[in-house]
Amino acid sequence: MALAHEFDYVRPQSLTEALQLKDKYKDKARWLSGGTDLIVNIKEGMMKPDLLIDIKDIDELWQIGFNSGKLSLGAAVSFSELIDSEDVRQHFGMLTDACRTVASTGVRARATLVGNICSAVPSLDSAPPLFCYEAIVHCASVDGKRDIPIDQWFLAPRKTALADNELVTGITLTAIPNSAGVYVKLGRYGGEDLAQAGWGVMVDHNKQYRIAHCALAATPKRAYQIEQLLAGKELSDALIEQAIALIPQETSPITDIRSSKEYRLHVSGVMLKRGLQAAYDRLQGKTVEAHKLLGGIA
Amino acid sequence: MKDYKYIGKDVIRIDALEKISGAAIYGDDIDFGANLLYAELVQSTQAHAIIKSINTSEAQKVKGVYKVFTGKDFPYKFGLYMKDRYIFAQDKVRFVGEQIAAVIAYSPGAAKRGAELVKVEYEALPAVLNQMDALADNATLLHPDLADYPHVPWFFPKPGTNVAHWRKTRKGNLEQGFAQADYILEDTYTVPRYAHCAIETHVAIGKFDHSGRLTVWSSSQSPHTQRHLFAEALGLSHKDVRVIAPHVGGGFGGKAGVTMEIIPAALATKLKGYAVKLRYSREQEFINTYQRLGVVARIKMGVTKDGSITALDHKIYWDAGAYVEYGANVVNAVGLSAIGPYRIDNVSIDSVCVYTNLPPGGAYRGFGYSEMLFGLESHVTRIANELKLDQVEFRRRNAIKEGDLTAYGAKMNPNGLVECIDRVQAAIAWGKKPVSTDPNKLIGQGFSLFWKAPAMPPNASSSAFLKFNEDATINLIISGMDIGQGYQTVMAQIAAEILSIPPSKIRVETPDTDRNPYEWQTVASHITWSSGNAVKKAAIDAREQIFALITRVYHYPIDELYLEDEAVKCNTDSAFILPLKDFVVDGIMTSDGTFKGGPINARGMFMPEFSSTNGDPETSQGGHPNVHYTVGAAALNLEIDKETGKMRVLKAALAIDAGKALNPDLVRGQITGGLLQGLATVLYEDMRYDANGKLLNPNFTDYKIPTAMDVPDEIIPIIVEVPQPDGPFGARGIGEHTMLPAAPMIANAVEDATGIRIKSMPVTAEKVAMAILAKKG
Amino acid sequence: MKEINLTLNNESRSVLVEPNEILLDVLRDKLGVKSPKCGCERGDCGACTVLLDGQAVRSCLILAVEAEGHSITTVEGISADKLSALQEAFIQFNSFQCGYCAPGIILAVTELLEKHPKPTLEQIKESIAGNLCRCTGYTPIFNAIMSLTKEEK
Repeated sequence: MALAHEFDYVRPQSLTEALQLKDKYKDKARWLSGGTDLIVNIKEGMMKPDLLIDIKDIDELWQIGFNSGKLSLGAAVSFSELIDSEDVRQHFGMLTDACRTVASTGVRARATLVGNICSAVPSLDSAPPLFCYEAIVHCASVDGKRDIPIDQWFLAPRKTALADNELVTGITLTAIPNSAGVYVKLGRYGGEDLAQAGWGVMVDHNKQYRIAHCALAATPKRAYQIEQLLAGKELSDALIEQAIALIPQETSPITDIRSSKEYRLHVSGVMLKRGLQAAYDRLQGKTVEAHKLLGGIA
Repeated sequence: MKDYKYIGKDVIRIDALEKISGAAIYGDDIDFGANLLYAELVQSTQAHAIIKSINTSEAQKVKGVYKVFTGKDFPYKFGLYMKDRYIFAQDKVRFVGEQIAAVIAYSPGAAKRGAELVKVEYEALPAVLNQMDALADNATLLHPDLADYPHVPWFFPKPGTNVAHWRKTRKGNLEQGFAQADYILEDTYTVPRYAHCAIETHVAIGKFDHSGRLTVWSSSQSPHTQRHLFAEALGLSHKDVRVIAPHVGGGFGGKAGVTMEIIPAALATKLKGYAVKLRYSREQEFINTYQRLGVVARIKMGVTKDGSITALDHKIYWDAGAYVEYGANVVNAVGLSAIGPYRIDNVSIDSVCVYTNLPPGGAYRGFGYSEMLFGLESHVTRIANELKLDQVEFRRRNAIKEGDLTAYGAKMNPNGLVECIDRVQAAIAWGKKPVSTDPNKLIGQGFSLFWKAPAMPPNASSSAFLKFNEDATINLIISGMDIGQGYQTVMAQIAAEILSIPPSKIRVETPDTDRNPYEWQTVASHITWSSGNAVKKAAIDAREQIFALITRVYHYPIDELYLEDEAVKCNTDSAFILPLKDFVVDGIMTSDGTFKGGPINARGMFMPEFSSTNGDPETSQGGHPNVHYTVGAAALNLEIDKETGKMRVLKAALAIDAGKALNPDLVRGQITGGLLQGLATVLYEDMRYDANGKLLNPNFTDYKIPTAMDVPDEIIPIIVEVPQPDGPFGARGIGEHTMLPAAPMIANAVEDATGIRIKSMPVTAEKVAMAILAKKG
Repeated sequence: MKEINLTLNNESRSVLVEPNEILLDVLRDKLGVKSPKCGCERGDCGACTVLLDGQAVRSCLILAVEAEGHSITTVEGISADKLSALQEAFIQFNSFQCGYCAPGIILAVTELLEKHPKPTLEQIKESIAGNLCRCTGYTPIFNAIMSLTKEEK
């Protein structure tokens, strides 16, 4: 069915042109890349922009590059491209896990990681890996460029640090040498679902850990207390139990239509436990199928 | 058994090419040119309220808006079994989402913009959002005028209450039955509402031309029933109402009867010369079509210690929604059949249809039997376990057999229930469940029987026209709907078998009520049986016409003629072979140059003349409301992650007695499809309402229907064939039944694995995990 | 209104569209291609799947103006000369019932087979996980696709 809302559409050929338009329209203009979120929001009356600025003709936003441990992703790079990237799989395995749980192939062919973080929903699957790889969000406007670390990016549900005249041009992730990570997601069934809980768990050869979660608080978060507890230690049942005991302090889950607060908390413990084990398994070169870690149909 | 050429064979679907090449036309695919208008609905935001005013002035001003209509334009009642609905709300709204007005515009966007600007002022009334509250003394009445509503004679509404229909079935002596019992188990089971989720949403286009003739194109399981209801509600002659039903993108009961289709039909009558289209969004599809009814079931069952059921008291309270014109018949059907496929001498059933301020309940694949069987088959497993009897053996011992009396006193039809039990038991290796190597995993086995009868008026009928073309291909003109089950193919197979014409040479089109003969509806899993009988008769009629002509021209006795390989042959003269294509249209030239015969046009009709609804209102004894039951059994192995509660069906076996599987692969297709639909209702689907009666999950984001990732590892479909004496080649329907055993089977397997009995659907991973956690303490 | 030019089923087409028109609607209402279906309008069901430059995408989430200069393929396009082996297998294995989801699923699998001529069951499932089918239970779809991987020796 046609959109009830009417708007203009432009497809600038350069970044400068795009930024000038956005500066003129501010929040009356919306960036369009994959559109998988934006078009739904316009259809359902959640957004009523006057102008859509399609960034897909701006060449520099399409880059996907891996250099000396750093992965640079342009704003127009789709989830499918990320999933298919051998560099990403090898050095940012947790990101591949997470991307594969976002929607489905036909949506991932268009949807972008940058668009995903701009939606800033609490259940953002891509957030835990971005926290663990300490992503930097690159923004640009007519006023210049600025970099925002991922832990300063999410301000509230659906609210980011991006100004209304800015564009996210890309993201940079930093690989951790000799590490392995896994993204564990709780959904209601085998098919695509919004996360009821998501845990990114990473460990390196020096037993340093990075752990982050989504869908368990108003914004995705890094679990620093758990990281500190585990730092430098060999995993044991007792240590894992101590880590699990910290989950209520690290999270503030709610009850909603998808899950109760109690179930989110309970399964978070299971996810952390199995996630840690799976990360170790990967570190030792074992194959781990992240989507099967919680059992069930998959 | 007779050797058939086309019956019982995996004939390729005759609609395959058009559906696979993209050629198949569905309702929304039809082009209407320049005179097409679009309707958008204004829907109630209140569960129960008086409409104080409707202001359409702002909407009228929107560029592209043509007209706005409200309830006052259409003060007509309609309904299939009880006339309790209006085309648009009149003075009151009774559920969130009820249609109040329609904005008509030249584009869908303008219609939407207009609809957003219609202002409705309400005066809220107390709302009742579940059936038990609605039954309470002093509950708000949804329909104070219930006494005045016309309804079929087999409904028993209770005016002055919210009870729209109360089906009572009484057999034997309940008190004595419980007195004979060594053990009595009593408990309550609940089932929420569910949505059909056909991938195609409802769409209908109405056109009232300048000659005063109404045509409605609709995605429908019931074109003739729609024509009848449109004619009745709008005061038109049946001859002036035409319903054209293109391909249907999934039905599952949701496109049975009449829901939104009456809106464009009615709107068209005020928009002479235009076509007006209403296509539901996915959200509207969830909110304002039929939904599967919710259930609270109280079951009390008595058994002897050697495992015979002595008595059953089954009380089922249905959340039937704001209007029950179709849904009350779900209640009725189950009220006659809530003994399940068991032989029970002492029975009391109360099946109570309750109005609530939620969307109308109606037909959904299984027609209430899924809801009933969740409780009953859970209960049967529990009672067998309590007695330390094997639950399968317990079921076998009590299984209903041919000639046993049903709850309403009629004799049970021939059936292969015990064979189904035996074969499922073997296929699943009952009692030898696998053991998981993963310490986090438990494995349980679950078993369930099922049965279901078509729920139809006693005079529901089918008919068929069959005409030959010059090359002896056939147009089979019938009015059932191929909603995916393969109806067109199977009907072609029946005609093919009688007339020796390959099914690929038979064209079956979707119906047009002007040109196709009467068919009640494509519901109730009755169409193979009922329409199949009509088609068989039509084919026999054609054959008789052919033989009569041959006899007239060639003087062979009729009983020496037969059809083979698209030709007439004679069993006393092997030299006589007359290809059908030589004469079925053009006739046969005789020696004097004249022609005898002419186009062969045949017809057939079927009505179950033995059926009656004249049972006693207090006991249901006496009538013959159900034509027959289809039965079966199923079992599965379920792996459960004991920490997360997540479940995986490792293997499932389902056996169904099809009477005769006219096309076994299509039967297997119903098993794999129906079973998954059933598993989804128990594992993750359900409709969630907030405290104001608003549906919280009207989309696939939060109403999860199964994906390719959610399929059991292995499904073993088993076909049993104990012929139905009055079925075409012995066939009876199987389409709905394949989802019936899923829910109790899962609940039974969960208990087998974990010792935890879950008595409310759905049995989600969360429920299982939290119950395991609670049990641990 | 803006004129856009695109390749539709190997033919050059141009069409006038408003910026807020959805590709699915334009394909169906202005370009006469009816096999992409509307099922949910928000990318959940996959009935509107088309191939955009060979990639299966949701045409309900794309603006028609975005298709300027791109190539769109629908089931009409791949059925133009004769059915593909995949389509033949769908018929053989009864991999559809009502048929409404079939065009989308065929296109999604067409892309899969392009990338992975011998997909595993897991790859098959992932490729169509976003294409909802309410009728078949999916198993007949898996069987049809797996049969192609076997025949190819």
